[in-house]
Amino acid sequence: MAIADWIRERKAHLDLFDETKTQYQYNPLYLLGPMLYYFYLLTVVSGVILMLWYEPTTSGAYDSIVRISREIGRVTVGGVVVPLGSLVRGIHKYAADAVFLCFILRIYRMYFAGEYKRPGELSWMLFFLGLVLTMISGVTGYLLIWNQRSFWAAKTILTVPVYLDELTAWIPRVGEQLKFGSMIAYIFLGGSAIGQATITRFYAIHFGISIVLLLLIEVYVYRTRRARLKMSWFPMLLLFLMVLFVAWALPAEMGRRADPNRTPLPILSDWYFLALYQYVKYTPPLWAGLGPGLLIGVGMLVPFLDRSKSRHPLDRPLFLVLGLLALAYFLGFTALIMWNIAQIEREPPIVLLATVLIMGGGFLWHLRRRWQEARAVAAPPPAAVRTRQEERA
Amino acid sequence: MGTQEHLQRRRFLRLVTGVPVLGAALSFLSPLLRLLKPNDRPFEVFYNPTRRDIPLGEVTVAASLREVARPWDFKYFVFTQKYPQYTPTGLRQASVPAVVLRLPQKIRLPWDWAGQIGKPQLVGRESDIIIFSRICPHLGCIFNFVPNWQEVTAGYGGYVPPPPRRHALIACPCHLSIFDPADPQQPGRVLSGPAPRPPRTFLYEIRGEQIVATDVEPGGIA
Ligand code: FES
Repeated sequence: MAIADWIRERKAHLDLFDETKTQYQYNPLYLLGPMLYYFYLLTVVSGVILMLWYEPTTSGAYDSIVRISREIGRVTVGGVVVPLGSLVRGIHKYAADAVFLCFILRIYRMYFAGEYKRPGELSWMLFFLGLVLTMISGVTGYLLIWNQRSFWAAKTILTVPVYLDELTAWIPRVGEQLKFGSMIAYIFLGGSAIGQATITRFYAIHFGISIVLLLLIEVYVYRTRRARLKMSWFPMLLLFLMVLFVAWALPAEMGRRADPNRTPLPILSDWYFLALYQYVKYTPPLWAGLGPGLLIGVGMLVPFLDRSKSRHPLDRPLFLVLGLLALAYFLGFTALIMWNIAQIEREPPIVLLATVLIMGGGFLWHLRRRWQEARAVAAPPPAAVRTRQEERA
Repeated sequence: MGTQEHLQRRRFLRLVTGVPVLGAALSFLSPLLRLLKPNDRPFEVFYNPTRRDIPLGEVTVAASLREVARPWDFKYFVFTQKYPQYTPTGLRQASVPAVVLRLPQKIRLPWDWAGQIGKPQLVGRESDIIIFSRICPHLGCIFNFVPNWQEVTAGYGGYVPPPPRRHALIACPCHLSIFDPADPQQPGRVLSGPAPRPPRTFLYEIRGEQIVATDVEPGGIA
């Protein structure tokens, strides 16, 4: 069986927490794996502590978080008031942010260093899937605060699937009935609007995803006898103190209680979704769902789309350009929405034009590179025209 | 030859046991889906997943005629909808924020959908009072009625309306869709932003001094 062989080979080379990259031990970029796992554990542990006081109801959620932040665990140590509840909440939030940051950096490292190439395909795909799951966990956790921002973020995100109905609507007679987009939304909402059922479901999904992921990782680590935390205690302590310091200096904010009858202006989401929010302003609503879906799909398939042999970014220009473009849009859109300087009359055509031009340029560069390689292979290579990979070897 | 027959027999037996197993799995799936999506009857979920989601509206007084006497007068109110669901009461409530508005001139009300809910006599009505649902037809935020159009330019994505549209507008904070409530051809026409259609409207009756909202255009998520 070809597929079984394929999986067996990739499984043998899985590298979830940078365990096999021993030659890079001293490069902090290759500490992202263990850091990711460490922050993840911090998030889960602090989350479980928060569960002791959190109340997953529409009427009680906001108040219970206010109580956690203000009242619970206030102890006085030598004259200084230590707000333990607020600290635990801060650790939960900032450690989760750190998980995201590690995920993004690690995915970019894998991308630009070509680590997704054989035999790293499965590692890449698992990482990508992990990022998507973490994002789902992020959205679902976000609603639980039940403040204005979280309420409207959840509401708009869950209306997006409704437009998937348009995909089937053109089928005569059957299409109108087959509202599977709406059904996806209803299943997450637990009805036709955000309410008690929604908060219960989000609570369950938020908790469920993290626990299931943790279990899967443990099983994997147990069966392969690999390392999870290839860090000594010193960086671990340092990272913990960093999170603790941020939680102390910048207590997680509370916002206003959710008001289903008033949308705030401007409306923002958590930082990793801001760029997506700006994108949604630019596109017709069906594309608000399809665009990110396509991006995830293409991202998962990158190892199979990039057929070049070399791992050096300059040897695969199209993928270099795509990666940089994605990064530029992520940062650019985030900045635009934060300063609320969008001109939605003017910008979408500019963005589209820039994308087409840059991607076209990247494609031409790619073709030229391929052509050079083909010529280098055809002629017996003199010492000066060796490929970069040979140079490194 | 004997093994051949054996194999065939085995395949047949597998098929015979497979059918009931598959049936059992399917019959398990339907209640499971119903559990996930509470307002559905058992098997309907497969072929008509959202049919029973049509809510019942509660007739509500929106405003008195005096409150919206002059052009561009408006008033916000909330309309309650009830969805059949598996809750202790068998129903779940959702509220639809709405706005009543007096327009400067009479227009043909966009009530072509009235026929679908059994009130065809209302199609083609004209009036200068209109009621919009404030649920944005884009992704469901609650939009605002902005009496001063300059506020739209300043706070909602820099849209500058052309001279004939420099009057009160409707603007959504979420993704900056802008609507013209008084467009004579299509009240609530989308002027800017990602919204795919004008906001939904209400049917209303004038009872004495009061404007009474009776039904809201179906569709969308509350
Ligand atoms: S929800 Fe109103 S513009 Fe998106």
